[in-house]
Amino acid sequence: MSDQSNNDHELSIDPMSNPSEMSGSAKADRRKVLKLMGAASAGLAAPGLGATYLRDFEYTRSVQAQGNSPVKIGFIEDESGNLSVYGIQKLHAAQLAVKEINEGKTLKGGPDIGAGGLGTLGSIAKSPPTISKEGVSLDVVNDGGAKSTTEVVFDEDPDVFVDSGDKGILGREVSLVSVDGQSNNALWQQLARRLIQQDKVDVLVAGFASAEREAIRPIVDQFKQLYFYTNQYEGGVADANTFCTGPVCEQQVIPVVQYMVEKFGPRGYTLAADYNFGQLTAAWTKAFAPLVGGQIIAEEFVPLSVSEFSQVIARVQQAKPDWVMTLLVGQNQQNYYPQAAAAGLKFPMASTVNMAQGYEHKRFKPPSLANMHNAIQYQLEVPTARNRAFVKRWMAMFPQDQYIGEMAQNTYFTIHLYAKAARLAGTTDQATMKKALELGWSIEAPEGSVFLDPGTHHCAHYIRLAVADENHDVKFVRDWPSIAPWWLTRLGVNLISHPEYKQYTPDEDPFFKMFAKKA
Amino acid sequence: MDSFATVISILYQFATNGAFLLLSALGLIVILGMMNIINLAHGELMMMGAYTASIAWHHGVPFWLCAILAFLVVALFGALLERTIVRRFYGRELGALVVTWGISLILSQGALMVFGPFLPAIPIPGGSVGVGQYSFSVYWLMVIALSCVLIAGLWALYNYTTFGLQARAAMQNAAMARALGVNTERIYMLTFSLGAGLAGFSGALFAPTVSIAPFMGQQFVAPAFITVVVGGATNVITGAVGSSLLLSLVKTPIGFVFGAFVGTVALLLAALVIIRLMPDGISAVIQRRIDRRHRFA
Repeated sequence: MSDQSNNDHELSIDPMSNPSEMSGSAKADRRKVLKLMGAASAGLAAPGLGATYLRDFEYTRSVQAQGNSPVKIGFIEDESGNLSVYGIQKLHAAQLAVKEINEGKTLKGGPDIGAGGLGTLGSIAKSPPTISKEGVSLDVVNDGGAKSTTEVVFDEDPDVFVDSGDKGILGREVSLVSVDGQSNNALWQQLARRLIQQDKVDVLVAGFASAEREAIRPIVDQFKQLYFYTNQYEGGVADANTFCTGPVCEQQVIPVVQYMVEKFGPRGYTLAADYNFGQLTAAWTKAFAPLVGGQIIAEEFVPLSVSEFSQVIARVQQAKPDWVMTLLVGQNQQNYYPQAAAAGLKFPMASTVNMAQGYEHKRFKPPSLANMHNAIQYQLEVPTARNRAFVKRWMAMFPQDQYIGEMAQNTYFTIHLYAKAARLAGTTDQATMKKALELGWSIEAPEGSVFLDPGTHHCAHYIRLAVADENHDVKFVRDWPSIAPWWLTRLGVNLISHPEYKQYTPDEDPFFKMFAKKA
Repeated sequence: MDSFATVISILYQFATNGAFLLLSALGLIVILGMMNIINLAHGELMMMGAYTASIAWHHGVPFWLCAILAFLVVALFGALLERTIVRRFYGRELGALVVTWGISLILSQGALMVFGPFLPAIPIPGGSVGVGQYSFSVYWLMVIALSCVLIAGLWALYNYTTFGLQARAAMQNAAMARALGVNTERIYMLTFSLGAGLAGFSGALFAPTVSIAPFMGQQFVAPAFITVVVGGATNVITGAVGSSLLLSLVKTPIGFVFGAFVGTVALLLAALVIIRLMPDGISAVIQRRIDRRHRFA
């Protein structure tokens, strides 16, 4: 499509349908933005690369200052230590995204002020999604075949991977400044300081464990660093400098608990890693189980250093739950699964982390992970054409890799999203970029459409219920095409009108206290 | 039936906790008790054992042979270490502490550089047996039996062989032993090598139940040191057995009722109290009692 400048076209154009953002639809899209913002001034919307459309985007000076030096993406993950099983995947995801950006590629998507919600491709679905359930036996909505492509709102077209019309970001090469956090919180702080002060990175993408994120967030806030946390986590971070692109408790805990209660019975037993993530996710599980007719009969918190589980296993056997919620983190704790299987434990399991991240079902001999249920937002097996195309691109670059997990995909689309926002803003200036990211972006990630909610800096995700069978083959038995990150909204967080820099915990929500009293 | 099964389950937990502590500590206590060297590279020697076993296993070697291979490889490495480095630090306890710590850093970071952040897991051999509502891992039952055999073997080695006699002599009074023609240098080398080999063997036994990673040794170091300190160095074998059984006796019921975390806290508290009451460790108390009995007999 050629460059369009007449107004009629601007109103009707679908920004997604154009493979070349910079030359075609993006400009049309800018006009649309401009119109919506009520700042329709011809001077502001002047064509060309230097154009911008938000009044206080002070882009010119920073663009001049930046010149042609590379755009630096600061990146910290654990390439060694207890958490390296996740960190290496995330590093490869970042390397793939940076390579694609430098080769002039992007994922479809764009800002969507006011529309929000379900992706920019929602219009192509023929009918709303259907979730089928009869009694307690649930139908398989999607078993990995082509069936999933018909009724559900996502673009089955593998061609969400399109030309950006740009080399790198705004003509500047993107370079990844990557360091190894070695699963050591103190080292994370040093490295964050180094990347921000010494390397002066344009954006920081970092963090696996919540303890690592909380270790570096004060430094991020001190320097007003634009920061992406790409992990699945317990939720609650309301920080004007931080964008959390992974799923949170309300998007995963409630769906999986609901399914477990329907299918296996009300009594759940929680086994969680003993740090902020495990404690808070367990609190969510306990608070929300009653809403779907369930009950958590016991909770146990396991220190991260524990790798010998015979006592834990005996306690679970004694309690005889209907299902076990496992929220185990790191290479030490993952040994629960083979040990439980060796000890003959056969309770159905639920999780929001295991399998999708540490690919325990690939690393341990079947049937250690048999009957594991996880409301995932992404894992390698997601049965869509766009995901298969993504996996193929990944494996072409990293043929040795065994798996692509949830966080790896988040890191991948997050870096692409950053590049898209920078192209729209016309600069990588950090203050401007934060505003540009608050335009209500949708991006067509390998998982499906992801929407970045401007007010809370969290993402609405496509959630699927993944189940591993006896042979560790994964099936998807339920789809939730878009679950919003609603909890911070419920607490009244709006980072645009009221910037804040804290993490909310369930204690601050009267709802959780209500259920704590009952239990 | 139900209460019977619970009793069996608690016994099983007691034995696994005890075997875990004993195997973690065995290599360390041999080196500390006999040579007075605090070997901070103990965890890394266990890591080496686990690496040897898992590399061999992935090359199709049967598991029991992998464990023996791990013993031999790490024992050989221990002998090499003793000849080149550790022997220069005899009598200098703090120097030995620092140098073994340095060795541990080199070994773990070296493993990271050579083998990457982790190796593929070994599946746990054996299935499970059930009693009532509980079921137990056959592999752990085997490990428990094997640690009994190991202790019996060590006991025989130190009490019924010339090496054992000479080693105990060298430990009690090195100068006198040398005067009587004992080659203490050789004894020390063999002892260090035996300690290292035992660490490697334990590492191989734990390999199927843990993640095989460069820093995996660290998780065993704390329990190993607690067991050794509580056991004391007066009599290596009674110390190791007594202390791992006593600590497990504290940890098992408390952990069973209140959870793994409280169980670990109880274990640490118990260690504090025991060291306060018996500053030389359990083995000193046992030894005194034996001596007294001999005197009155």
